[in-house]
Amino acid sequence: MNWNLFLTELVAGITHGSVYALIALGYSMVYGILKLLNFAHGDIYMVGAFIGFGVITVFGGATALTTSLVILLVSMFVLAMLGGGLLGVMIERFAYRRLRNAPRIAPLITALGVAFFLENSAQLILGAEFQSYDSFSWKNGELWSKGFELPAGVHVALAQIIVVVGTLVLMVALTYFVRATQTGKAMRATSFDREGAAMMGIDVDRVIVVTFFIGSALAGAAGVFNCMVYQQLWPYMGFQAGLFAFTAAVVGGIGNLPGAVLGGMLIGLAQAFATGYVSSTFEEAIVFAILIAVMLIRPSGLLGKAAIQKV
Amino acid sequence: MDDGGNPNLPARPDEGEPGIRVGVDDWVATHEQRDVRRTGLTGKANDLIDRTPRWWFYVAFGLLAGLLPALTSNGYVIRVGFDTLIYMLLCLGLNVVVGYAGLLDLGYVAFFGFGAYIFAMLSSPKFGLHWDALIVVPLAVVATGLLGLLVALPSRRLVGDYLAIVTLFFGQLFVTIMQNGSRFSLLGIGDHSWDLTGGPNGIPDIDNWDLGGFKISSLNGYYLTALTVFMISLFAIYLVDVSRTGRAWKSLREDPLAAELMGIPVNRLKLLAFAISAGIGGLAGTLFAGLNTAVFAADFDVPTLIIVYAMLILGGAGSLGGVILGAIVVNVSLEALRTPGHATWIFYTLIVATIIAKVRPWRWVVIVIGGTIGLGYLLVAIANEWWPRGTAGEPTVSGWLGTWLNEWVLHPSDPQTIGNICFIVLVFAVLGLTLLKPWLLWVAMIPTLYLAAFVWQNRLVVEPSVTRLILIGVVLIVLMNARPQGLLGAHRIEIA
Amino acid sequence: MFKRVGLVVSVAVLAGLAIVAAALARPSSHSATAAGATCSKGVQIGMLAPITGPASSIGSDQLHWAQFYVSNWNKAHKLKLKLVQGDTQLDPSKASTVAQSFASNKSIMGVIGPAGSDEVQATAPILKKAGLAFVSGSATRVSLTGGQWKGFFFRNVPNDGVQGPTDANYMTSKLGVKSGDTVMVVDDQESYSTGLADIVGAALKAKGVTVDRESISQKDTDFSALVAKAGSAKIVFAPFQLSSQAQLLAQQLKAQGKSAVVFGSDGTFDSSKFSVAGSYVSFFAPDVTTLAANKSIVAAFNKQFPGGTSPFGAPNYVLAQMYAAAITKACVDNKITRTELRLDLAKVKLPSSIFGVPVAFTAKGDVAGAKFYIFKIQPDGSYKTVG
Repeated sequence: MNWNLFLTELVAGITHGSVYALIALGYSMVYGILKLLNFAHGDIYMVGAFIGFGVITVFGGATALTTSLVILLVSMFVLAMLGGGLLGVMIERFAYRRLRNAPRIAPLITALGVAFFLENSAQLILGAEFQSYDSFSWKNGELWSKGFELPAGVHVALAQIIVVVGTLVLMVALTYFVRATQTGKAMRATSFDREGAAMMGIDVDRVIVVTFFIGSALAGAAGVFNCMVYQQLWPYMGFQAGLFAFTAAVVGGIGNLPGAVLGGMLIGLAQAFATGYVSSTFEEAIVFAILIAVMLIRPSGLLGKAAIQKV
Repeated sequence: MDDGGNPNLPARPDEGEPGIRVGVDDWVATHEQRDVRRTGLTGKANDLIDRTPRWWFYVAFGLLAGLLPALTSNGYVIRVGFDTLIYMLLCLGLNVVVGYAGLLDLGYVAFFGFGAYIFAMLSSPKFGLHWDALIVVPLAVVATGLLGLLVALPSRRLVGDYLAIVTLFFGQLFVTIMQNGSRFSLLGIGDHSWDLTGGPNGIPDIDNWDLGGFKISSLNGYYLTALTVFMISLFAIYLVDVSRTGRAWKSLREDPLAAELMGIPVNRLKLLAFAISAGIGGLAGTLFAGLNTAVFAADFDVPTLIIVYAMLILGGAGSLGGVILGAIVVNVSLEALRTPGHATWIFYTLIVATIIAKVRPWRWVVIVIGGTIGLGYLLVAIANEWWPRGTAGEPTVSGWLGTWLNEWVLHPSDPQTIGNICFIVLVFAVLGLTLLKPWLLWVAMIPTLYLAAFVWQNRLVVEPSVTRLILIGVVLIVLMNARPQGLLGAHRIEIA
Repeated sequence: MFKRVGLVVSVAVLAGLAIVAAALARPSSHSATAAGATCSKGVQIGMLAPITGPASSIGSDQLHWAQFYVSNWNKAHKLKLKLVQGDTQLDPSKASTVAQSFASNKSIMGVIGPAGSDEVQATAPILKKAGLAFVSGSATRVSLTGGQWKGFFFRNVPNDGVQGPTDANYMTSKLGVKSGDTVMVVDDQESYSTGLADIVGAALKAKGVTVDRESISQKDTDFSALVAKAGSAKIVFAPFQLSSQAQLLAQQLKAQGKSAVVFGSDGTFDSSKFSVAGSYVSFFAPDVTTLAANKSIVAAFNKQFPGGTSPFGAPNYVLAQMYAAAITKACVDNKITRTELRLDLAKVKLPSSIFGVPVAFTAKGDVAGAKFYIFKIQPDGSYKTVG
């Protein structure tokens, strides 16, 4: 067995899967509460990536950073999460709120409208060219030369470790928040039964705003994580990522947070191993075929509960 | 309709008679009398429209559209007409599965592509087959319908968004396979590979439609063929719509559980809806391949799906008139916005129309529009005095409108950066406006409108290709918020 | 009760307006066909490019370079040029619709574009029927020139049939690729890339080289699978459309300590984006952005369009320049027709260009004297001509 190939794919799959998982978490949270497929979610991820890029530029650009890596990373994350979160809240307030009791397909089309608007506005303002974080040049490539060695000569870079650990931290924090805090409880109640929650005195509007903020902040962080490892960013990057995240969320069982993470990891790994072992040409086809099979065997997703029909 | 306290109602014929008539439902029996005619001009017109049978409108549409080639020799107009008809056909098919049966099918354009590829393979030099369209087209429709059935068969257990995702995968799978179909190699076994779909190079040099020796080769010919095909499909779907099957679909859409309990064969109906919609998609594909004379996988990817969904939902899912209207509104405005001159007219007309429709009382209409222009002249005068760069830029719109706008809208000499900043400010200003109430709203509108004109003249009109997509996004958001059920939609369609 | 009347009335008004507009469009278009247009009012050129959508990074750059030339020209000349943009979104069927709009717009005299070979194939029948010349700065499929569109379709970039063999030759003669060695050939599933990869793959196979043919998608940013497979390969040939993807591939190879060298094509020729030292790139001209003679032009471009450029952009500057030369010639009598412009364009010879070499078309419509240069990327990221 070629351990080099296997371990490389494993590391790649987990890294990429972490990014998908972060985006999928936001998708799933919003869905859980509003039953809304927020197709603009991927574009928040794009905006987060660009905020990070702005921070790099402010600190002198990739090749001539004027600050330490820690300060750079922290400011990138804080600003990207804040920016993404606020953008999400604005989108909810101005585009979705009036549609809360409309037919479910109406906010779906609105979300597509928001996506059109964000992508093309980004092109108008930032240009269509690919930009690059170029994290290989940060401080002489510390992010890539540091790290640890796995057997069979596979190098795990610091950048990849940051992504995976960062995702884990965010996931643990989210789990704690949803499980243990007052607002988290309100979120769970609202997602279980919105009207019932409102009757129990929960401020549903506030809960929805908080959900959008957290979900979108995670997408913003995912944008930075993604570009730290895979470098390139451009206005249309959110679309594809959004599709994969939507996929991850549904495969894991939409509305179910551990499910979203599981789904993201599954897609990341499936992509990596399909390319490595079967065929790079039909990689996407293989991933989709696997996913169709999963859905047909477990129609409610891996961790989703079968829908209870209320009569 | 409330008939309780309506004084206009004639007395019920059975009023005063004691007891209840056996075998007569009171509510049904008095239906005619409760039907109040509306008054006033708009009321009368509303009545007229409500009472006219639906199909009159369809016939009128068909006749009007048929006149188009006689009215113009401009190939572009006909081409846009053809594209719109293809979109209508696609919406019509999608309407069956989404609007009637209430199933969210995100793999729909794959059927469109499948039809196109079948036509391309069977009548092009690709495999040396040049079959008659009279054979290929029905074959493509049936094959696509069967494919629809095949996709629906394993998916029938799935509901709602799970169905959506599986069909989305199917669509993506289709595109990937077509994109790489030039090197099928039986999963890497052996070194030989077959070229089935032309891969990224697509299938070129497709034959024209050949109807038993009668070749359709001109643009006009294709336009009229597409119109005929659309009208036939429209009436077929209309007939299905008013039949038992159509009613069963709608019951399925409104409440699948209740429908099942009422003994409606839910599974069979779902399969039927999928097959019919796929067949119509395939039909659209054959027309598309015939006129374009080449098919490429990129034509059948998610962007096309998004446009078709936007058309259907905007027009009103479940409504045949909505199918026509949605496709026209979206496609024609997408095309009209390509030209900066037209786009400018559309932009300002929409703004003025919105002001006239929404701002009350009337004197505020004058104040808002006048105030904006007045503010403009004032700012230009100030800039001429203290900021000469602010008016040094070239006018970006030609014609008298452009000249006039140039008099009161600032044109800085290097507008890119300031235009971008103002664009962002404009977005926030417009969002802020939605939070205000009259009359503060009307006052705040004046600087916002000026800002809008400034951004348009200096930034948006210079980048028409990007601008038109931004505008389409805004239109989708605004229209869906204003009319969630779509322009002509039935009031409630629940996808569950 | 919802306002159905308003809706129906507005739809009727819209439909009426559209029909009136369509009817009005007729007489002017007829009269214009016969007489052509008058030059003093300015001459319009259509530009077909994927300005938005997945290929917008290429298309908007192409548009910017052409706009850049036109705006400079208009500052210095009395004869004004106007560029009409047509966004194709790299979708052949949308490109046909836009091509039809150019064909029907009688004030458009010639077309720059389309960008992709598929789009050329889809739009060619329409543009030829309308008598328009169409010149691409990026469609390199061999079969496009010399066939049924001869005299209508031109390109100022050499086709894949020149580049592929040059690259394969260089690998075997200079980079020491021998029979039995492995070369990984990766395409990005677009027709430009698969075409070139096929040609190079076949040429290498003919010399007994083992070719490991792989493919990625333009959306991919994670090439770890390829990197892991590239263990035994000497060279990774990467004819991508996006230079940033070639950069990523090279960086990821390096990060995993692989010795394989990335060999890019004209699509990846961009010293600002593809800069991993030791890699090779082929291009049909010396480096446009670093030639000393171009310094002021490139600086002015970057000032007008900040945000960078791609190798697909600059050829469109040259195209606009060629059109300007042809239009000047056609406009000697202050009249211009499509046919006149087309014939003049075929004969344009630029004695010098930002490519650093003279530019003219062959009788088939290809660029004359097509030759590819091989560059090696230096440790400071600059490109050095090595063959």
